[in-house]
Amino acid sequence: MPHGDFHPVLFVIVAVWVLVCGLGVVAFRNIVHSAMAMVLCFLGVAAAYVLLAAGLLAVIQILIYVGAISVVVLFAIMLTEQHHAPLGFFFNRQAIFALPLAVAMFVVLTVVLVTSKMLPNGSQAHNVSLAAIASGLFNGYVFPFELVSFVLLAAMIGAIVLARREDQP
Amino acid sequence: MHTIIALIPLLPLAGFVATLLLGNGPLKRRPELISLVAVTGSWVLSMIVVAHVFGAHTKTIDFNLFTWVSAGSFHVQWGYLVDSLAAVMLIVVSTIGMLVHYYSIGYMRGDGGYYRFFAYLNLFMFAMFTLILANNYLLVFLGWEGVGLCSYLLISFWFQKKSASQAGKKAFLVNRVGDWGFTLGLFLMFTTFGSLQFGKVFAAVPHVSPGLVTWISLLLFVGAVGKSAQFPLHVWLPDAMEGPTPVSALIHAATMVNAGVYIIARSYPLVSHSHTAMLVVMCVGTFTAIYAACIALTQNDIKKVIAYSTISSLGFMFMALGAGAWVAAIFYLFAHGFFKGLLFLGSGSVIHSMSGEQDMRRMGGLRKKLPITFWTMLIGALANVGLFPFAGFWAKDEILGGDFAAHYYVIWAIGIITAFVTALFMFRLMFLTFWGESRASAEVQDHIHESPRVMTVPLVILAVPAAVLGLVIGLPPDTGWLHTFLQPVFFGVENEHFAWAGSGGALMAVSLVVVVLGISTAYVAYLRRPEVPARAAARVPWAYEASYHKFYMDEVYDAAVIRPVMGFAMWLWTFVDVKVIDGAVNGLAWVWGAFGRALRPLQTGRAQSYAFGVFGGLFVLIIVIRYVWGA
Amino acid sequence: MSPVDWYLTLAVGLFCIGAYGVLARRNVILIVMSLELMLNAVNIALAAFADFIPGAAGRGTFFVLFIITLAAAEVTVGLAIIVANYRNRRSVQADEFSEMKG
Repeated sequence: MPHGDFHPVLFVIVAVWVLVCGLGVVAFRNIVHSAMAMVLCFLGVAAAYVLLAAGLLAVIQILIYVGAISVVVLFAIMLTEQHHAPLGFFFNRQAIFALPLAVAMFVVLTVVLVTSKMLPNGSQAHNVSLAAIASGLFNGYVFPFELVSFVLLAAMIGAIVLARREDQP
Repeated sequence: MHTIIALIPLLPLAGFVATLLLGNGPLKRRPELISLVAVTGSWVLSMIVVAHVFGAHTKTIDFNLFTWVSAGSFHVQWGYLVDSLAAVMLIVVSTIGMLVHYYSIGYMRGDGGYYRFFAYLNLFMFAMFTLILANNYLLVFLGWEGVGLCSYLLISFWFQKKSASQAGKKAFLVNRVGDWGFTLGLFLMFTTFGSLQFGKVFAAVPHVSPGLVTWISLLLFVGAVGKSAQFPLHVWLPDAMEGPTPVSALIHAATMVNAGVYIIARSYPLVSHSHTAMLVVMCVGTFTAIYAACIALTQNDIKKVIAYSTISSLGFMFMALGAGAWVAAIFYLFAHGFFKGLLFLGSGSVIHSMSGEQDMRRMGGLRKKLPITFWTMLIGALANVGLFPFAGFWAKDEILGGDFAAHYYVIWAIGIITAFVTALFMFRLMFLTFWGESRASAEVQDHIHESPRVMTVPLVILAVPAAVLGLVIGLPPDTGWLHTFLQPVFFGVENEHFAWAGSGGALMAVSLVVVVLGISTAYVAYLRRPEVPARAAARVPWAYEASYHKFYMDEVYDAAVIRPVMGFAMWLWTFVDVKVIDGAVNGLAWVWGAFGRALRPLQTGRAQSYAFGVFGGLFVLIIVIRYVWGA
Repeated sequence: MSPVDWYLTLAVGLFCIGAYGVLARRNVILIVMSLELMLNAVNIALAAFADFIPGAAGRGTFFVLFIITLAAAEVTVGLAIIVANYRNRRSVQADEFSEMKG
């Protein structure tokens, strides 16, 4: 199987994996179950990256999303008291409106994107190599790269300030 | 000469302004001085003008002072026309006006609004002079409205008294109805003739369709009906007696009410072309004459009797105009001004001496105590009923003769009957007031005294023309001095030549007999056998009641006009104003409030709902952009 | 349907699932998790473009990199806010944060 080309069977497996886990995130009543589903979903997305010949992205996905973000989320869950979400699949009045809207949005977006004339029909893989990414990051995209590091810094400081107890220095 | 003519109305106008400004201040002690000077000055100037007009040939002076209105194709001048007709009117207006001013010094002495009274009198003189001297219909209308205004001001002079202020309003409103007709006539006249100037209009009459001429004449006549208190717009005149007696004498006997007669006479070239209009004028006048005479028979207020007598006399004048006896009408107007003014001023003297009593049932026996008043009023009464050789006889007889000559026999018959009734009620007045035993209270009787000289002198002055005017200017009938004088104005009027023997003399005899009959009937009924009137009234109570209640005209107006209008006003208030207009405004406010109430739940304060809105909007946007815009 | 279309369908599906979660669930932490799902969906789409569309070869990858980074920062700060809020109100139910009502 050529690297990055489209392989229907694998794609279907990964797609089902991702979507089912996504549904799990929004459907479970216990938030920890949702968090677990989220982790699995992230892993599925990493698999999708692999299928798309974006190895770097897959690794970074696992490192950051599965490794860091999921942990932060779990910590937040731990720090806040959780009430068991009430009844069945429809949790509140909003769900009655949100579900149709989400489904409709799905249908419309799919139709719009699939029938649009803008995207070419290629099935050839074109994704770039790691070396190209590295060089791009330090040459063409150095400016956003540096900015993002500032943002991270700010986020870190902000998070620390926000989460501090009042009586601590 | 032009300056003199222009000054005649101007002097009283200046007098009005000056009296108003200075009357309560520097001239507080004798505020009447300015107005007296003004009105005397006007009289002098009027006499000069009259003398000028009837010197050598009777001239006509027509000139413009300045352009009054200039709007597009509508131009109206402020100008004066003085011909024989205007000269006759000048004599009446200026003389009686001046005498009333002097009389008022005595009558209004001690009144709180003394200076205001003289100011209003002067304003009235200005308006009246403008009316009779104007050379176009619009300026006439200015004077017309002006006298109406002054009438209102003077009738409700004692405005603290509710009945007085209401009488003033009534006069003004009823006059307004007439003015409405007059205004429509002016509009029609302008669209037909393109001008309101006398000369231009009269010259163009033969070239205009007779229908239009009739309409214009009838509309002008509507105005005359209002101003001259003819049926059915007569209801204001008796109520106008609420005003001081000099006002009644001046305005409601001698000058303002003549305005209607004057305007029809002035419109001779116009009205005489329309047989229909003439007929209407005559019938209205005739009916009014007998109608008012019948009412006067049962009234107890001395001034009301004279008021109804005025209405009746004016009816006679219109009867004459309509029958084609133009000069006779003016003759009667001339004489009537003097003797009716005399009667009013005399009654004022009576009231003054009776300490304000106006009810004849409480008078009596004043003959000896008020000699000057008695004799002058007697002359006035004899002139009014038309006994030979007083002024009224010649004038009235000429009118009746004119009716007969024009083959209006029914009209003539009604006229004769009216003459009888007139004699009856007039001498009822005289006998009740001056003869017999005094029926007044003892306190009033003590105060009875002859009036001061300022009041009695005008009476005497007026008695002279009342007595001899007919002889001087009316003889011989149909060809006397007045006829020659007015010939240029009423050109083309055919007058039958009067014959002393034959039909002319016979008619004269008939009317004389009728008048004497009336006087003697009154003598018998009210002096010899006073129980007769009461018994007669008991025999026909419906007739008596109808006459006493003025044939219920006021009630008719109340039911037909006032109630519906008031009802309409109430409906407008409770329905249209409260429900519709307020409802609309409040409803609009409610709608906005409803919008607010409906939209408020959208603001839940929860970010999730807002996110919902964003997402939903995005959804709609995608559809719109992709499928509606075709992007 | 070309390969791009398939991946796009997957991305849209995940996106809508995440949207439902944002709109319908009341626990704010769960809302943040659904938000992550949406971001991931977008990443998938971008990576698909990078792979199958010639003009977007490298750029798609970079875009995804930055999104991942910023998503991490955002989640951190967001959850810190939630925890701080929890300390004051003792609640993580989205319904109860409605001071901006009216």
